[in-house]
Amino acid sequence: MNYKTRRFALVDIIYIIMMIVPICFGMFLKVLTTPLSDGISISGARIYFTLPMPVQNLLITESQVNSAIVMVVLLFFCLYLTHGIRYGVWLKRHHFAEIIVEMCTSLVKNNMGEYFKSFGPFIASILALSALSSLITLFGLFPPTSDINIIAGWAILVFILITYYKMKCGLWEYAKSFANPVLMAPLNIIGEIATPISMAFRHYGNVLSGSVISVLVAAGLQGLSNIVFGALPGFLGEFPFLQVGLPAVLSIYFDIFSGCLQAFIFAMLTMLYIAGGFPLELYEERKKKKAQKCKN
Amino acid sequence: MQSLEVISVNIWQILISLLNLLILFLMFKKFLFKPVNNMLAKRQSEIDAKYEAANEAKRIANEDRLLWDEKIGTIKHESEEMIKKAQNSAKRQSEAIVSKAKETADSIVRQAENQAQFEIQKAQDGIKKEIVEVSAALANKLLEREINADDHRSLIDSFIEKIGDDK
Repeated sequence: MNYKTRRFALVDIIYIIMMIVPICFGMFLKVLTTPLSDGISISGARIYFTLPMPVQNLLITESQVNSAIVMVVLLFFCLYLTHGIRYGVWLKRHHFAEIIVEMCTSLVKNNMGEYFKSFGPFIASILALSALSSLITLFGLFPPTSDINIIAGWAILVFILITYYKMKCGLWEYAKSFANPVLMAPLNIIGEIATPISMAFRHYGNVLSGSVISVLVAAGLQGLSNIVFGALPGFLGEFPFLQVGLPAVLSIYFDIFSGCLQAFIFAMLTMLYIAGGFPLELYEERKKKKAQKCKN
Repeated sequence: MQSLEVISVNIWQILISLLNLLILFLMFKKFLFKPVNNMLAKRQSEIDAKYEAANEAKRIANEDRLLWDEKIGTIKHESEEMIKKAQNSAKRQSEAIVSKAKETADSIVRQAENQAQFEIQKAQDGIKKEIVEVSAALANKLLEREINADDHRSLIDSFIEKIGDDK
């Protein structure tokens, strides 16, 4: 494939556009649907429409739309990074893709061991989805990570994986792992169930509390500004001078740092729980025995 | 437009988000990890092949070197021997030539000596004869018939013999 043809450049441009367009779409939707209000409001995601479903109505909300936006962006980002990747020809983005892949693979290998090395894409997707869902606030969009449903979905998936790997040695071994010692069985069961809940609430609470604190500080600064500079005539009196500066610093912490950190923590906990719950030695022993039985 | 409560649980939303993560996982696997890993594997195999070729070439070179070292060693040995042989033969030849030359020279000298001796003898004889003849003629002229040449020849001969011996 030639890297200087017009076709290659065209596909590149399409990919880049497809990365930008969903975010613009989200911002457009946000601007269209947000009512003008001067008060502070702390609420969940805005509901666009409701689909009737059994048990509970499916609500298509901002968080759903924004997760879809994040996913589309990530899809085209991946496509852009690996566009025309081939041995022998190097573009800068290929190096970048290689760095990402190598970092995720080594992270997984270091934390989970050699057996789980195929978990690289899963951990990478958790990291990317979580981090980007938090960072999407930088475009003024509602962060899906501050919606409990989104995080709960991920946490449940992780819980399913944990349980799957714990059950790999058979149901009896899985049941036995709780009764160790026997008296602690109820606590162990509660602890098992608490794992996804704590994971979900940790992430969700951090992001939500960040946005709540940001809103509160912004509102408080506006009030203070009104008191201090209210006596100034005309436009000068209304302009919230004190809102300049501090909210930006808070945003750097809550939106960027906390978002990335929580994504990393979520991925880290996923790896530790899955690898920690899996009795590798027992599994290998059983495998050996089974192989011997087959031979006999 | 309505908003959700801050905490509101909706099963379908949870399910959708779960599926979202799964889909993203598959996307990452297919579009990011697979091509990159394919490329990495290809590169690794290429590097391995190159290393193997390099090692093979090194091995062959080492073998060749050993072979040549051996060859060079034997050649050195051979050449030394050859030089020694040549030196020996040259010595022998020179000795032979020198001895032959000496012999020839000796024989030439001897011949020359002999010839000289002979010449001397011849000259002496000639001179004796002449002297005898001259003296005989002289005596003949001086004494006329008083002295018969034949009678006195033996006398004169012995006389001249004496002269020759005195010399």
